Amino acid sequence: MSIRVLNPNAEVLNKSAALHMNINAAKGLQDVLKTNLGPKGTIKMLVGGAGDIKLTKDGNTLLKEMQIQNPTAIMIARTAVAQDDISGDGTTSTVLFIGELMKQSERYIDEGMHPRVLVDGLEIAKRATLQFIEKFKTPVVMGDEPDKEILKMVARTTLRTKLYEALADQLTDIVVNAVLCIRKPEEVIDLFMVEIMHMRHKFDVDTRLVEGLVLDHGSRHPDMKRRAENCYILTCNVSLEYEKSEVNAGFFYSSAEQREAMVAAERRSVDERVRKIIELKDKVCSGTENNFVVINQKGIDPPSLDLLARAGIIALRRAKRRNMERLVLACGGEAVNSVDDLTPDSLGWAGLVYEHVLGEEKYTFVENVKNPYSCTILIKGPNDHTIAQIKDAVRDGLRAVKNTIEDESVILGAGAFEVAARQYLINEVKKTVKGRAQLGVEAFADALLVIPKTLAENSGLDTQDVIISLTGEHDRGNIVGLNQHTGEPIDPQMEGIFDNYSVKRQIINSGPVIASQLLLVDEVIRAGRNMRKPT
Amino acid sequence: MVLSVMLFWNYVVGGRDIICYQCSSPYCSTDVDVVVVSNYMFVEGQVELRSGRLKKWLLLVHEVQVSMREIVTIQVGGFANFIGSHFWNFQDELLGLAEDPQSDAVFKNQGLNMDVLYRTGETQQGILTYTPRLLSIGFQGSLGSMSSRGTLYNEIQSVPSDVVTWIADLSTHVSEPRKKNLFLQSLYKEEQEKSHMMNGNNSGKHDFHSDIQDKDIVESLENEVQYWTDFSKVHYHPQSLYELNGLWTDVQQFNNYGIGRDAFSEGLRGEEINERLRFFIEECDHIQGIQFIVDDSGGFSGVAAEFLENIADEYTNIPVLLYDARGPGSYMNPSSQKQSAFQNLHDAVSFSRLSSYCKLIVPVGLPSLNERKATRFLCIENEKAYHTSAVYASALHSISLPFRMEPLGPTDESCYASGALDVNGAIQMLSGQARQNMVTILDVAMPAPSLTGKQLEQSLLGNLQPLTPDTAEDVEDLQAVESMTIHGAHGSGGHSAPVAEVKDAVQAAYGQVMRKPRFSHLSVATCPLPIPLPFPTIFGNLVGQHGELLGSPISSYPSRGSLDVHSIPMAARLRSSTAVLPFLENRLANLRKFGIQQGALGSEVVRSWGFGKDELEDIGETLSKMVTTLRPHSEVSSDSD
Ligand SMILES: Nc1ncnc2c1ncn2[C@@H]1O[C@H](COP(=O)(O)OP(=O)(O)OP(=O)(O)O)[C@@H](O)[C@H]1O
Ligand SMILES: [Mg+2]
Repeated sequence: MSIRVLNPNAEVLNKSAALHMNINAAKGLQDVLKTNLGPKGTIKMLVGGAGDIKLTKDGNTLLKEMQIQNPTAIMIARTAVAQDDISGDGTTSTVLFIGELMKQSERYIDEGMHPRVLVDGLEIAKRATLQFIEKFKTPVVMGDEPDKEILKMVARTTLRTKLYEALADQLTDIVVNAVLCIRKPEEVIDLFMVEIMHMRHKFDVDTRLVEGLVLDHGSRHPDMKRRAENCYILTCNVSLEYEKSEVNAGFFYSSAEQREAMVAAERRSVDERVRKIIELKDKVCSGTENNFVVINQKGIDPPSLDLLARAGIIALRRAKRRNMERLVLACGGEAVNSVDDLTPDSLGWAGLVYEHVLGEEKYTFVENVKNPYSCTILIKGPNDHTIAQIKDAVRDGLRAVKNTIEDESVILGAGAFEVAARQYLINEVKKTVKGRAQLGVEAFADALLVIPKTLAENSGLDTQDVIISLTGEHDRGNIVGLNQHTGEPIDPQMEGIFDNYSVKRQIINSGPVIASQLLLVDEVIRAGRNMRKPT
Repeated sequence: MVLSVMLFWNYVVGGRDIICYQCSSPYCSTDVDVVVVSNYMFVEGQVELRSGRLKKWLLLVHEVQVSMREIVTIQVGGFANFIGSHFWNFQDELLGLAEDPQSDAVFKNQGLNMDVLYRTGETQQGILTYTPRLLSIGFQGSLGSMSSRGTLYNEIQSVPSDVVTWIADLSTHVSEPRKKNLFLQSLYKEEQEKSHMMNGNNSGKHDFHSDIQDKDIVESLENEVQYWTDFSKVHYHPQSLYELNGLWTDVQQFNNYGIGRDAFSEGLRGEEINERLRFFIEECDHIQGIQFIVDDSGGFSGVAAEFLENIADEYTNIPVLLYDARGPGSYMNPSSQKQSAFQNLHDAVSFSRLSSYCKLIVPVGLPSLNERKATRFLCIENEKAYHTSAVYASALHSISLPFRMEPLGPTDESCYASGALDVNGAIQMLSGQARQNMVTILDVAMPAPSLTGKQLEQSLLGNLQPLTPDTAEDVEDLQAVESMTIHGAHGSGGHSAPVAEVKDAVQAAYGQVMRKPRFSHLSVATCPLPIPLPFPTIFGNLVGQHGELLGSPISSYPSRGSLDVHSIPMAARLRSSTAVLPFLENRLANLRKFGIQQGALGSEVVRSWGFGKDELEDIGETLSKMVTTLRPHSEVSSDSD
């Protein structure tokens, strides 16, 4: 799947040529990503040479599908991907912002300005903007019960940039509830405790939140129940398969009995472990209708499965490592590493456990749990590329909610922040700067406008008109964003368009760093061996 | 002490296939019995201890109940996938021949259980599938015209025009479809023909195949193979083929351990890869091991090492047999001193790291395969990965045969195969002896000479030549341990030799050589290596249709391919021997010279790969331990030479 960005320019280039190559590469990457931005952006379907399909509206995914060869473009792409790793969103904006910083700078450099001076100006503007964002942000109080409405608005804003409205709105509740489910007061939110599971279903596009866990495997014994209610759940990491001891030596013996004993010992230790589990089952279930489910991270061999099945136990083997943690959070109990001191206290509980089979794929649902702190988002889609795209969107949504809770603040979206910050830089900051570094501040300020401009462009609006009307309205003292349909100024607060504070901050932070590096280049050498992320 | 004695016994008597050369040994005993107790089969005997006391011993041969134990195969990197592609072609060919009413009897009863390597599955449409238990990792774009989802489970892959998740604009970017070569075209047509027939539509009998000639296919492959998928005739499972995307480097730059190590852990890659493997392992009832092939010439060694570390962590008891492979292309002459230092460092680091996460490591791949004794009867173009990988794949196939022979007891002779071994057994035998050497040499005789040829001893054992680089010749090693597989050998009159004849011949051969290993395990199968149509044209003109070695050239063309040669007898051997010392010592010396020493040329580089001084010393320690294991009295001091 290749959208190539420029050809790699192999040789070492002189300074000016190098600079222009950098600028062109940044512009090139910007051109590829720019149609992606916002709720009116273009979704891209990439069809590979062998017919593989990828569907994406996400800067991050798109970049990863591209075979980028130009070293400058790679640097920018890495910054953007790092942006996503750190904050979960804003990849497209990052690429656009860097591209625009380079473009704006080009004007001044072509007029003979020294990049060093320009970079100084960028740095001043960056610091000023970071201060400004603190004033501009909308604080959100996160008490014991976070304000669900604001979380929903942030999630919805993100999701609507990836999925059409109805689908986005359906997912909004799901991601908000998922994060609230796993959230524990005073603890960092670990989004891995939300499992994202998918099923391929010919005619179905549907996503639902399972309070509990969905595992992508089933029991491996024909006699085990496919559905059980009122289940004790044993989460364990205990080998229930016979393994020859490391040194597979023979043994010495002196009598026939001793021989038999030693032989039996080979298997016995496994059977013993199984028996302990069965004992516990009998203890907690006998005389009741309750069931018993073992979910093991290690293997369970057929003889052990047999024993368990005969005891009426459902057993799953080779569970994901992470599911050990999730199960305990969802069902309670604890994950045990040994069956030696099993007590009923280590068991979790689920009201319902059942298996769902699709071709060779099996799913086990562990549902109706009490007080879950782990849950599963189950995505159904007609094909892999649709599923993958929804999955990406879900991840974005989850991150947006988590960020909001952790940031305890949000930023007004739809270009409102960028317009406001730009005006602040031009009207207030610029005049405090001495000499030509002012032009760097100006370049930075104008580069911010790439966001509202591109949003306008993607909505088929005239960018100049839009910018004039937005800045005009702003200077009348209003905070305004762009109405995607009409191009008129709107109040994003009223419309519920909010972006993450940490995402915006990260964009403002990293954009100028990388742009400065590219501007101050002395020479360009082919992309190097070192692929560590730029810092 | 006792353990090592017993271990020795284990393999001397475990099955009768193990030949004891040291009959004069005080430990040898002849009255060996087989006993079955509950579900286990044992060999029982007695041993005379040094004190003169007799002790009875008992040895577990196998669990009777467990008849099949799965292997999961992992291929990481370009050349590994080339080898794998040939490997699976052989398996596919064997499966086809077993069912083909016209095929030779040796292919009908192979005495091999393919379920060890393959899995049975079912598509959502309810169609049954049989696909390799395989996870292959490669570069984005390295699959050529093959879809990463394979071919069996695919929803109709015509480009859908509607997108159900988005209402605003859609832009579609269609890469130019990768052209299928003649071979893939003919496969495709054959499939279509089959489904046509299945739909009861065989009226008019379209002969789809007829317009593509086998001759042209073979020729086109010789000239056009670019990707490993170009010559693959196997259907892969959708979970099998994993591409690393978003690397933003080309293959040339993905050339060192550090870059690969980062690549594995970036984003969700590592997690996705682990999940793929879990898919295959979860369904195994009783997995015997992982067969892992890595192309260690560049970044993929870093990817593999990180992956192996995860495996060792998650599946502690599943043994990994690692083939550390590289194609001749990677031995290209470095253009500068610095670059050569860089390469040598990579080799040392990557070998040492890989070895720390497996149980047995087999370095495979010669710089100039075409000039070696191992390819005396072959006609190889060294620069073609398609050619060289075919040789390594053949050897790997032979080595893997004992893992899928039905484990019969020592008294229970199969007439098709004998000498079953599981992965753990093989590893223990080769590396678990008193001398704990985990680095093993791969030897091959391709094709294996006839058993009745004159001077058999010379030729069979003499023809076994290493595919492992930097090995010493003619070493005397009393501690050497070997595991050999011979299959499809020709006996008297050029017919395929029965198992017993092969065993006797080998025993006789060993009886006459001067330098005997401490002991050797022998596995024999009657089924030769089948040569599938897409196998390269690499046989010399002294090789006959069934792989027999001829006295004079059979044709005036120097090379022969799958249309002329249909099968060949093979012998391959894993050998734990001091002959591997040069390989280890080179790496150790290079690491010290270019990485550890004060002011070393490459110390900067190693740091950029993420290794601190301590880690580097650990890496050196690993290597020097390997050397001391084989040469206990050598002077390997930690400061440099
Ligand atoms: N309803 C809306 N009207 C106008 N602008 C909107 C609306 N919703 C979101 N936006 C703006 O769209 C931008 C985000 O677009 P998008 O999510 O496509 O790109 P990104 O976050 O930069 O990158 P990515 O999500 O691809 O990593 C933000 O600036 C946001 O304020
Ligand atoms: Mg976004």
